[in-house]
Amino acid sequence: MTAMESIDIAFPQTLPEALALMADEATRGQPLAGGTDLMVQWESGVRPPPARAIDIKHLHELHEISETHDELVIGGAVTHAHLRRTAMIRHYAPALAEAAATVGGGQIQAMGTIAGSIANASPAGDLAPSLLAADARVVVASVRGERNLSLQSFIRGYRKIDLAPDELIVRFVIPVKKPTEREQFRKLGPRAAQAISKIMGSYRGEIRDGTITRFSVALGSVAPTAVRLPDVEALVVGRTLDAALLDEAERCAAASVKPITDIRSTAEYRQWVSGRLIRGFLEHVGADN
Amino acid sequence: MAVLERVEYRHVGQGMVRLDGEEKVRGQALYADDVPVPDCWFGEVVRSPVPRGRLRRLVFDPAFDFSQVCVVTPEDIPGKNIVDMMGQDMPFIAYDDIQYRGEPVALVAAPTRALARAAAARIVPDIEALPAILTLSEVVDRFHRNGEGLHELAGQTIRKGDIAAGFAAADRIIEGDYWAGHQEQLYIEPQGIFAIPEKDGGVFIQGSLQCPYYIAPELIVTLNLPLEKIRVKQTAVGGAFGGKEEFPTLIAGYCALLALKCGKPVKIIYDRHQDILYTTKRHPVWTRQRTGVKNDGTITAMEVDFVLDGGAYTTLSPVVMYRGILHTTLGYKCPHVYVNGKVYRTNTFPNGAFRGFGAPQAIWGLESHMDEVASALGMTPEAFRLHNALHEGDTTGTGQTIFEPMGTPDVLEKTLARSGFSEKLGKASRGTPRDGKYYGIGLCFFGHGSGFTGDGESRLKAKAALDLEYFENGKVGVNIRISSTEMGQGTMTIMPQIGADGLRVHVDHVRCPFPDTKYAPDSGPTVASRTAMVVGGTVFGAAEKMRRQLEAFASESLFGGERVELDDNRFTGAVTGATRTFQEVGAAYLKQHGPLRVMNQFKLPDTLRWNQKTFEGDAYPSYSWGCNVAEIEIDALTLEIAVKKVTGYYDIGRVINPVLAHGQIEGGLIQALGYAVMEKMEIKDGLYDASRMQTYVVPTALDIPEFDLHFVEYPYSHTAPGAKGVGEVPMDGLAPAVANAVKSALGIRINTLPITPEKLFAAMTAARRTGEAAA
Amino acid sequence: MKKITRTWIINGEERSVEFPPARRLLDVLRENLVLTGTKEGCGEGECGACTVMIDGEIVVSCLLAAGQVRDGSEILTVEGLERTPGGRLLQNAYLEKGAAQCGFCIPGMLVSSYAFLRRRPDITDASIKDAHAGNICRCTGYIKIIDAVKAAAERWPADEVVKS
Repeated sequence: MTAMESIDIAFPQTLPEALALMADEATRGQPLAGGTDLMVQWESGVRPPPARAIDIKHLHELHEISETHDELVIGGAVTHAHLRRTAMIRHYAPALAEAAATVGGGQIQAMGTIAGSIANASPAGDLAPSLLAADARVVVASVRGERNLSLQSFIRGYRKIDLAPDELIVRFVIPVKKPTEREQFRKLGPRAAQAISKIMGSYRGEIRDGTITRFSVALGSVAPTAVRLPDVEALVVGRTLDAALLDEAERCAAASVKPITDIRSTAEYRQWVSGRLIRGFLEHVGADN
Repeated sequence: MAVLERVEYRHVGQGMVRLDGEEKVRGQALYADDVPVPDCWFGEVVRSPVPRGRLRRLVFDPAFDFSQVCVVTPEDIPGKNIVDMMGQDMPFIAYDDIQYRGEPVALVAAPTRALARAAAARIVPDIEALPAILTLSEVVDRFHRNGEGLHELAGQTIRKGDIAAGFAAADRIIEGDYWAGHQEQLYIEPQGIFAIPEKDGGVFIQGSLQCPYYIAPELIVTLNLPLEKIRVKQTAVGGAFGGKEEFPTLIAGYCALLALKCGKPVKIIYDRHQDILYTTKRHPVWTRQRTGVKNDGTITAMEVDFVLDGGAYTTLSPVVMYRGILHTTLGYKCPHVYVNGKVYRTNTFPNGAFRGFGAPQAIWGLESHMDEVASALGMTPEAFRLHNALHEGDTTGTGQTIFEPMGTPDVLEKTLARSGFSEKLGKASRGTPRDGKYYGIGLCFFGHGSGFTGDGESRLKAKAALDLEYFENGKVGVNIRISSTEMGQGTMTIMPQIGADGLRVHVDHVRCPFPDTKYAPDSGPTVASRTAMVVGGTVFGAAEKMRRQLEAFASESLFGGERVELDDNRFTGAVTGATRTFQEVGAAYLKQHGPLRVMNQFKLPDTLRWNQKTFEGDAYPSYSWGCNVAEIEIDALTLEIAVKKVTGYYDIGRVINPVLAHGQIEGGLIQALGYAVMEKMEIKDGLYDASRMQTYVVPTALDIPEFDLHFVEYPYSHTAPGAKGVGEVPMDGLAPAVANAVKSALGIRINTLPITPEKLFAAMTAARRTGEAAA
Repeated sequence: MKKITRTWIINGEERSVEFPPARRLLDVLRENLVLTGTKEGCGEGECGACTVMIDGEIVVSCLLAAGQVRDGSEILTVEGLERTPGGRLLQNAYLEKGAAQCGFCIPGMLVSSYAFLRRRPDITDASIKDAHAGNICRCTGYIKIIDAVKAAAERWPADEVVKS
């Protein structure tokens, strides 16, 4: 008997059924998919277990993976394992697939979902930076209808998202990486695998004729939420990639984050290495294909 | 000596599959929480929320129905409220002074775990908080101020020659200090024990434990029961590494006290969070090495301060410190030695046994420092070590002579050659990265005392019994009855290998069941790298005795008096050449005489001399030796450290089972890798900040380096088959080898563990500032 | 407490079991079904000792509400390995290579190995390490586990392969 056993779980068979349960305060419950964050939080007492949960793990509407009109659509209950294995995602959003491959071990990857990772809204969530750098959008639904938001506006603060009590995250819409664009995800943790990050980042960028034409970059674990670095982006776009720009961008990135010291790393190291990651990404976008 | 020459080993030296393996891979092995215990209650501990204070009273929530649970407070303890370990300073349940956060103030048992937890949460200690000393750095600050306000739990010095003369003879004196923090054993099976009250008023304790004969005698005074009424049996153990050495006495005591009061079996299985917060850790260390050398590299003086954070109570800390100080100078010739060892109290959970038991802390300082001394002299690390390493006939810091051929300096020479150390050291980055990486290579050479320190083995007199009896499969066989436990390292496999060779029968006829104090004599605890050497030797002797008894019986009863020899499962008459199988003779013996028990007792050579007061003489029966070369890469972009390759040679005496022995070395090296670059916990509000597996990170499969590991065999001559210690040896050398590699990669000495990118960044920033200031 | 009933194929046998829906699968296996081979090492999905395979995917059973496992799901625990030729082969490879020491991580480790080998991936040090990164072993240093997986891969039965 553990703390969670008191939770009553509802098992809707379709998304409309789930939304109907969410619509009524009497039947509403904590949406539960992979459980890899929630179960730990409930068990450790970080969050009290709710009275009710709604199992959305198997709702077929949340398992879509498709590509149309230069947009990748990924259902909210798609697991990290599917993100890293699916050829379409590896092709059109490679940094997302790379990020998914660094989430926990194989077990957590097979359980945890993309919507769960975003809904948990931890600054150390592994998927947010690559989604932010790709200008991803999130679609939420309720019996009242759907809302389509930029992910950046959806993430509101430390463990806060723009989700009404009756809403569920149903899918993500990600502009595909163009053939001329490059991406990279990089995570620094206390060990090589199965670790919560000290810092991580992801970029999508493009160079044409020696000039940087796109550079979107986001970092995690350096602020209360994963963040884009608009100052760095503004600095480098339109510029020629050379040694001076690398130095400038590194300094700019370090200056634009205010990380904290916690059990995983120090503020000083995180600040410095933020700049270093940006330097690495710029070197990556400029490297010979 | 002569014994070794004529023994032909058939099983010893073979990489036999472990005898407990089949049930482990089938999921059938029963660990503490797997054993069905009918009508079992669950125990919980009510703990102090403050690290130091005076307990005024316990407040029981009047809204909670305590009649449905069983509560034990100090008044319920049948004997003395004391944990009968060294120092005798720790109460089982605190009643007045509170010395650490998490100290037990009451125990609770209930029919379900949830109810026990709920009840424990409703008992609140009312404590007047007092100032506390929580960290080693506070201790060291005070140590520098003549120990002001410190509570010394133990102290010991080692003196050899005249340290002042040694420094006077030196051309250079090099000093350095080295720090390391707590390390958690992180066995994958958390602590777990259950206690069943017996009809005769006694108690039967079973569970995950290393030392049955620690628990049973240590509970006598607390339970007020005679030894024979405290029965202890080991279940399968899911890893221990010292963490289940002295600690299980506490949890066994909690279970026993609760079980005796409520009359039900009581089980305590810690969850991981409890296990990390409320069990022993490796002692944090501060050690200062001061070394006098001549310009030609000859060491003239070694002076060492060795300070351990003992935690709140004495427990095993003095012995950890003893082993520590004995390893602070080990491996090198030096005529003048002074070592000052101290253990001081901090108001934290008592620190305790962990693989290496003080030696890794000592070698961390020594071997980092030896590189610094070499560097100050302009010598290479290997030339300096080769110049000073002990050879046969040389003496250690306690004046012990290297009395027979050993792995020093052979392991050093072989590791250097195999790894190509000298050539690769020339390619180390020294602060200038190539292709985005800094490359570094580092060396560490060390010895490790096998068995108990000093005359410990003489005082303990390890016993082993062999029982000739029927196995449950109807065959005659021999059960080895020892208190040495199987915790993954292979006791259950190597003891039958050794016993079978002593008996000269096939290993199928020999077993080593889980120890149970009802059947097994005290062969000592499963610690100190002593099992293969001391208990293995005692088992071999017992097996030889049993063979001679069976030969005599066969001669008299079955061979008409002719001389009979047992070999290869067969008794053969010397004159007639007639043969009988082991089964036939064994069955005949059992029919005539009933079960045969043969006892043997370990004895150190009479020539050993040890002065426990002055720490002069033969500090260990013998020594294992090791050498590691670590090659590392540091990412120039992020300063992430990757240990890429470890080359090593080890002298562990005769290798009983090479597969298991390699498993010990590989696994120990990965724990050492964690100690070197990863595992970190600090004290926050009196508790460890890393209190879950999410925050206390240990190496995964993706973190491991390439290994190139080898044995050189220098058997211990005093006991057959001549094993020395293996279990702790791999923990000793990797951290300093990595620190030395970091120095070669970046030109920076890191003197605290673990070595993290954050520390490298801070050190490089400081070095740059110093450089700028100098310019 | 409301309870639900689920019927699963556990280690090849159909079994029905009743439990509160949020009970951890680990507890349902160990307590309701007395399959104690599956171990609890941390209770928070970090150590992998409680790994079981559900419909071909490995999961940590300490973080899975058992009610979320649908009727008809196929669950494999360490106890079921010996019923398949590949599973028994794998167990033997672990024995031969000395991959088990204390053995507590081994039930979960074996299930991860088995799920990995069924996918018939490229067998490299890197892929093996990646496939076992969610299983912490504190005894072996992983070397002999990797050796065992390689050895089993060489003799892996062709009919115990799934497409991912």
